[in-house]
Amino acid sequence: MPEDNPADEDVLHRAAIDRSVRLPVLFFFTSAAAWLAVSVVLGFIQSMKLHSPGFLDFPCLHFLQYGRSNPAFMGALVYGWAIQAGLGVCIWLMARLCRAEIKNPITLIVAGHFWNIGVLLGVLGIFTGHSTSIEWLAFPKAVWPILFVAYSLVVVWLFTLFQRRKPGEVYISVLYILGACLWFPWIYLTANVFIHVLPGSPIAKAATSAWYLGSMTYLVLAPMALASAYYFIPKILGRPIYSSYLSTLGFWGLAIVGGWTGIQKFMGGPLPAWMPAVSGAAVIFAIIPVCAIAVNHHMTLRGQHKLIESSPTMRFTAVGAAAFTFYCVFSALNAFYPLGALTQLSQTTMAFQLLAVYGFFSMCMFGAIYFIVPRLVGCEWVSGRRIRFHFWFSTYGMISLVAVHFLGGLWQSHAYAQFDVPLENAISAGRPYAIGASVAWVFIIASNVMFLYHLSLMVFRLGRKSEQPAMIGHADHTG
Amino acid sequence: MNSLRQFVLCLAATFFVPWLCLIVIPHVKMAKAVAPETWVNQDLGTSQSFPPGTPNAFRRGQEIYAAEGCASCHTQMIRPTYLGLESWRPGFGKEGTIEAPVRTRETVPGDYAGERFAYLGVQRIGPDLSNAGYRHDAAWHHAHLYEPTSVRGFSTMGSFRHLYIKRKIRGQRSADALELSGEFDPGEGYEVVPSETAKALVSYLMTLKKDSPLPPATTPIDASQDAGEDVKKG
Repeated sequence: MPEDNPADEDVLHRAAIDRSVRLPVLFFFTSAAAWLAVSVVLGFIQSMKLHSPGFLDFPCLHFLQYGRSNPAFMGALVYGWAIQAGLGVCIWLMARLCRAEIKNPITLIVAGHFWNIGVLLGVLGIFTGHSTSIEWLAFPKAVWPILFVAYSLVVVWLFTLFQRRKPGEVYISVLYILGACLWFPWIYLTANVFIHVLPGSPIAKAATSAWYLGSMTYLVLAPMALASAYYFIPKILGRPIYSSYLSTLGFWGLAIVGGWTGIQKFMGGPLPAWMPAVSGAAVIFAIIPVCAIAVNHHMTLRGQHKLIESSPTMRFTAVGAAAFTFYCVFSALNAFYPLGALTQLSQTTMAFQLLAVYGFFSMCMFGAIYFIVPRLVGCEWVSGRRIRFHFWFSTYGMISLVAVHFLGGLWQSHAYAQFDVPLENAISAGRPYAIGASVAWVFIIASNVMFLYHLSLMVFRLGRKSEQPAMIGHADHTG
Repeated sequence: MNSLRQFVLCLAATFFVPWLCLIVIPHVKMAKAVAPETWVNQDLGTSQSFPPGTPNAFRRGQEIYAAEGCASCHTQMIRPTYLGLESWRPGFGKEGTIEAPVRTRETVPGDYAGERFAYLGVQRIGPDLSNAGYRHDAAWHHAHLYEPTSVRGFSTMGSFRHLYIKRKIRGQRSADALELSGEFDPGEGYEVVPSETAKALVSYLMTLKKDSPLPPATTPIDASQDAGEDVKKG
């Protein structure tokens, strides 16, 4: 860790940095949290619609049908919550790790406003019947330039901050943040230009959309979450990361294979066969950097697993990091025909997307938010019990949601494969699992209502006042 | 890696390769391969071409297909039989029996020629629609979109009532009016007619027949058999 010197000067400097980033980081966190609220409600609605289309089926609410609420939910979750929370964490980490007070937070606030306007237009566009029905790119075509410009503003700002850093070794989290900074605009611009702007083969466009999902997960969501995990695990333990060699190996390994992933989704589809094959190989090779990262985190933690129980940040981060490993291993298994044939084109797709966005990315972000917010607002989280409630309901909700969709998808594919029975069997095979998913959504809603209430108490400075920003359970390691 | 320029160059290089190979090159190559191939079908004695082209109803209909999010639950991709057996089942509108199913071939790139985007799909909450055009007539599709359970009791599809207009019959009953019975009957003196949007969507569904015969050269197994016979005859 580049900043473990507990000298008073350092503490004061860090406090000054925290003060300087307060406005933009809180802006991103609060707007992300608002979108999280929207997305969990939409998530529940779309889940209900999947098995009971009669739910909320009023003429004035016709836009809530699954075909619109599902893309709107995903849009709100990925662009409203995930990317914004990620940017908030990245800005804070970057300022901390570059040991530089920030200048010009207005740029970030302006970019944040544009981003929120873009997401709002996108979600409303889907509801008013302008969806493109492309996974994670369902926002109407007019929206992507707004999101692209807004993100690029933040990228320019982060690079400027990086250039002003105090000399010294560049920490691994910074590499991940810079990576996410560069990859997202490139991936997002490519996908939108090739799909929405240029004329061209419809099949190549479909392949690009599948690639977008893979690249977003491996090269945008993963780096943001890993940047956070690489910072907070050693920070809370108060010891350096186990091996900087493994850190570098993990980063570059991910950088090399990440851009090849995604198209395995269409294996056996009407694409040139080498495309899904290459993507399938890439997700299998991704196991190598992912193992390097997992071993590195685990070895850093060795002997200190008790801290997972006492520190909320540690607890969320550990579950998030474990979910990442799990996600990558399962993606690799899915690249093989026997399992892939069953998981392809079924509810399992939902399980994977939720595992990536909620299971792994969001858990890391929650952990980071529990650490960062007290340092920005100068008061302590009101109750440890509420954090535990958020943690357990989120974890159980996520695990059951992913498991139910995963098993439901297998069963559904199995039923579709039995071609000699009536269609009814295949249609109704997935239904009980969809009902199970709705129950899991209730847990997720409950956990997030608690989180939002708790966060709003903090933002309005109604938390416990404390002399120094200490965290429940790891007061010794604060800084 | 303390130099920013070095870092950015390495990052760009690692990402540029997959970007070029998976996005740019396929787009450039596939954009060229759209010219239809024409040949004479020996059995029928007629000229055929592939891709066969899409009717005008297609474009608008596909936009509605996207806007209503049909692609969230339905796929348009038939996999080879080693991955799945979704290409035939009873009531799929093609002849065949359970003992001797007549399988539709798997989908190939040419099947999507002329589309703005190939909606291969996400998940199969409902059946694959690659060959939906064979299964039912337009009236069935309208009744199904208006109230899915009116024609399929087990359906979990949402109703698309907002694409239909319920109105009082003035003069003669409209020829387009939906045949609805039981609880879905609009009532005495009323009728339900499809809007232009619903008509476009159904025309689109009726065009979905992704099983046009392929040119002989692209079916290598048959071609080699034919060649073998020719040699024997010769």
